[in-house]
Amino acid sequence: MKRKVAALEKVDADLVSLQYKIRRDPKSYAQEFYDQYLAYDAQKQIFLSAPTTASAEDVKNFHDLVDMIAHVADCYPEMSGQFAEDLKALITQHHATLDPELREKVVGSLALIKRKEIIDSTSLLTTLFPILVSTPSKTLRALLFQRILSDLREANSKSINHRLNRTIQTVLHNLVTSDKTSAKAIWAVKLTRELWKRQIWTDAKPVDVMKEACLADNEKVVVGGVRFFLGGDKEREELEDDESDAEAVDLKKVAHQVGINKKSKKREKAYKKAVEKVHRQEKKKNAPHPLNFSALHLLHDPQGFAEQLFQKHLQNTKAKLTLEHKLLVLQLVTRLVGLHKLTVISLYSWFTKYLTPKQANVTSFLASLAQGTHNLVPPDALEPLIVKIANEFVSEAAASEVAAAGINAIREICVRQPLAMNETLLQDLVQYRKSKDKGVMMAAKGLLSLYREVGADLLKKRDRGKDATIGLRTGELKNRKFGEEEVGGIEGLELLAKWKEEEKKRKREAKEANGEGKEGEDSEEEEEDDEWEVASLESGDSGGWINVSDDEDQAPPLKKARTDSEAPALVEEKTEEDREAELKRITELATTAILTPADLAKLQELRLQAKLDQAMGNRSNKHSKALAARHTDDGLTAEQIELPAKLRKSTKEERIAMAKEGKPERGEHKSTQAIRRSKKDAEGKSTTNKEKARKKNFLMTIGKAKAKNKRSLVETRRVLKGHIERSKRGGKRGNIGC
Amino acid sequence: MGSSNRKKNEKAKDFKKAKLRVGKAKPQASNFTDTSFKSKAIVVNQQSLSGTAPDPVEQFKHNLSLASSSRSDSQRKDALAYLTSQLSAKPPNNPVGTSAILTKLLPLVSDSYTSVRGQLLKLFRALPPAEVCPDVEKALMYVRAGMTHLSPEIRTDTLNVLEWLLDIAGDEVVSCPGGWMKTLNSFSAMLGWNPSIGNATGSKGWTTASKATLGATKGGNAQARQIQILARFLQTGFKPDSQLVHNPQAFWDSIYRVPRRPNPFAYLNLFGPARDEEGEMYPDRESRQRVFFSRWNKAITKGLEEAKKEGGAVGRAAATLDQTLKEGMGDYKGEPEARAV
Repeated sequence: MKRKVAALEKVDADLVSLQYKIRRDPKSYAQEFYDQYLAYDAQKQIFLSAPTTASAEDVKNFHDLVDMIAHVADCYPEMSGQFAEDLKALITQHHATLDPELREKVVGSLALIKRKEIIDSTSLLTTLFPILVSTPSKTLRALLFQRILSDLREANSKSINHRLNRTIQTVLHNLVTSDKTSAKAIWAVKLTRELWKRQIWTDAKPVDVMKEACLADNEKVVVGGVRFFLGGDKEREELEDDESDAEAVDLKKVAHQVGINKKSKKREKAYKKAVEKVHRQEKKKNAPHPLNFSALHLLHDPQGFAEQLFQKHLQNTKAKLTLEHKLLVLQLVTRLVGLHKLTVISLYSWFTKYLTPKQANVTSFLASLAQGTHNLVPPDALEPLIVKIANEFVSEAAASEVAAAGINAIREICVRQPLAMNETLLQDLVQYRKSKDKGVMMAAKGLLSLYREVGADLLKKRDRGKDATIGLRTGELKNRKFGEEEVGGIEGLELLAKWKEEEKKRKREAKEANGEGKEGEDSEEEEEDDEWEVASLESGDSGGWINVSDDEDQAPPLKKARTDSEAPALVEEKTEEDREAELKRITELATTAILTPADLAKLQELRLQAKLDQAMGNRSNKHSKALAARHTDDGLTAEQIELPAKLRKSTKEERIAMAKEGKPERGEHKSTQAIRRSKKDAEGKSTTNKEKARKKNFLMTIGKAKAKNKRSLVETRRVLKGHIERSKRGGKRGNIGC
Repeated sequence: MGSSNRKKNEKAKDFKKAKLRVGKAKPQASNFTDTSFKSKAIVVNQQSLSGTAPDPVEQFKHNLSLASSSRSDSQRKDALAYLTSQLSAKPPNNPVGTSAILTKLLPLVSDSYTSVRGQLLKLFRALPPAEVCPDVEKALMYVRAGMTHLSPEIRTDTLNVLEWLLDIAGDEVVSCPGGWMKTLNSFSAMLGWNPSIGNATGSKGWTTASKATLGATKGGNAQARQIQILARFLQTGFKPDSQLVHNPQAFWDSIYRVPRRPNPFAYLNLFGPARDEEGEMYPDRESRQRVFFSRWNKAITKGLEEAKKEGGAVGRAAATLDQTLKEGMGDYKGEPEARAV
């Protein structure tokens, strides 16, 4: 017995091996742990007596002891009760002066004992976050940020930890609101954005934090907040796409490998893991789509927010944002105004002074203006702006790009509020469609085609075009008045009704064709069952309705008018009553039947198809396709205003470079063949068969050449036939499968 | 055809022996790597290039820094030896002061080389005792760290340092903050006489966990030495407070004179972090007795009984300790309420 103990005692003075032993058998090594805990205590005291001037030796000893104790603290909760508090106090009080390595170790140890559930997430985060905010060290900040983020992710991985989230969100909110001038709030912004991106926080509270950040006094914080609203959701979507694209596991392959290879626990585990992963992916695929509202939609009181933003950062002459940041804020304000149809009247007069061609980034201003316009903006507020744009940008003297940008901007504004245009100005602008510059010409044509749909009576008679003239005469084309809304309906419902009818007809025909064929009936019933099953299964989730509401906004009035006017003959034939009956029949579908999620999915598909058809058939240029694909939630960018200026996609240099690409270097005067040959040599590649044949020694070929001359006709024929056959077969051995 | 010939030649070239020619350099191998480098200056570490002999102060400082931070153990030892010789010269040559030396060299208490630790002890013994007194608290921290070190050699050598401290400044050792309780803690850990371990691991029953200690109860000389030093420590702690000679000026001195001791108001703990029971200072005999009785008496007595049975060196040391305890705690009456509990 004694000998055994002695054998156990033969231990080298090594904390790592001690740690390993403690892990194996905590009870037997309690004494050792206690010793080391005392040693740690003594080292801590030494360290705390002079934290700034501690010798490297001491720091290293302390570092090792902290590491060891953190790893095994969970085995002796009573002895190491004070440990977590010690570490917290240490990092909180001395983070600025600690040795970087030790600091890192303390942070890591805290995370470790959190993982061992000695402390909880809340206490860890409330320790680390104040340090993150206050420390001057960049590396520590990076470390802490990463730690905090990973801890929050981990805490929310199994199920959403509402309590923790609420606590942290409150901390962040307080941080942002407590001192509006300090740059510390940037960390709140960063953290929130990151968690938003990863869909850990998706509710209104983080949006509120960002809103407060936007209204801060510190420029960095403001820009961080604004950028979040402008790009945070896109970032989130992109990340989600990336994740869903993540590599799929080929279960068959793994199973096959397991069958062939030597059986080992590792392989077995790998197989189990793969199966689990596939299951998880399946589950994920079938899971209802989470309702992810964009940050702009989750805003509480957008009107107040937009007004405050505008007053604080734009209207206020004392605000000292740089132009670039001002533009960002402006973009956000106008996005809010356009999206929520807010009324900020002073915004439009504010624009006046920026609408000159000399203004830097004027296209961004133009885009923002167009973005901030919607059909409830009083035309009186917009008209002076349009006149100003026309005067400043659109003239014979102005450069063609400037004129094109001006007309484009006017068109974008008028798409959103057609009533802002007056007759004379429009007729003037439309004249530019005869311009020699393609950009200006296209822009003017765009404006013309817009007004053919939304306000043909403003145009001269000869400019109206056939469809608009007919529409005006039949009274079908009516101008909407200010504030008038389109009669609501579900867009594309008629398509669905039509599709359903067709399906029914098709089935009936199939039935008739089959006679009493039982098989057909069965399968049909099955099909129907399937559909219903899909529908009833998914009817619990409410994924469908967002799409509908989204696209209701999107339904541009011009397109509807277009679809109808595509077949003018048909329209004329139809009487008023017919159309009313049609309308009734369509709405009947919505009022009599419940649209299942399967229906809604089909509806969405049909709508997309219709839109695509329209874009493909009617207007086939890229620009209009892009227009059709644009979502109302997406903002308008300066590029879209400048678009025609970039019709010539590349400069001359670029084109030359493109042409030169892939061609051999012309520095040395050699034949192309020789250059290619040398390139191949350099790559270590062989010659082609042709080249080999060409290089073949003459004396070797001469025998065959002579023999060829002496062949009989039959022989020649056979050879030629053989050649043809070989070429058909694909060489002497032939291609397998051909 | 031609190309294959060429390739053959190319291949053959690899195996040809390069001809040496008179007056020409040897051709370089294909895998030759140019390792030459250029530098504007050459920096030689730890080498003084001055023509004159270094002045003794600088030399002392240089050796001090070598002793505390050199990576080579022999260099550390030599530097310590040099410092020792300087300190033990008559008159002692110490340009930096005892306190600075202690600050620099105390971490060496847990140095991993025996020779360095031995030399360090010699150096400590050469220091003037009076000047060590103010730094006893700091020295004790390192001693405690050393006493709980993983390696038994370091533990044993640390005891020598503690013995030295007891020799020169016994009163300060037992009365400085943490000096009494924490050092006793370390002793109990060292000897394995720990009452709180069983509870901590959750073994509440009558069995005890098997002791797989790293050298705490090695028995023999090491343990005997530990017990011996503990006895000395307790002896110092339980030494009757010396009767102060009546000084008629004392009252006035305490009012009007600047105190002569360093940190005379330490017991108020005005600037440090709050102390707990273990870190508190126990300035007089009675308080030390009280806290010893409440916390350690039982554990030490139990350990002592076991040690006494062992006989040999350990037994003798245990007998000494027993004697010390009897003398020290003999007059302790204990607190009635504490006993009741």
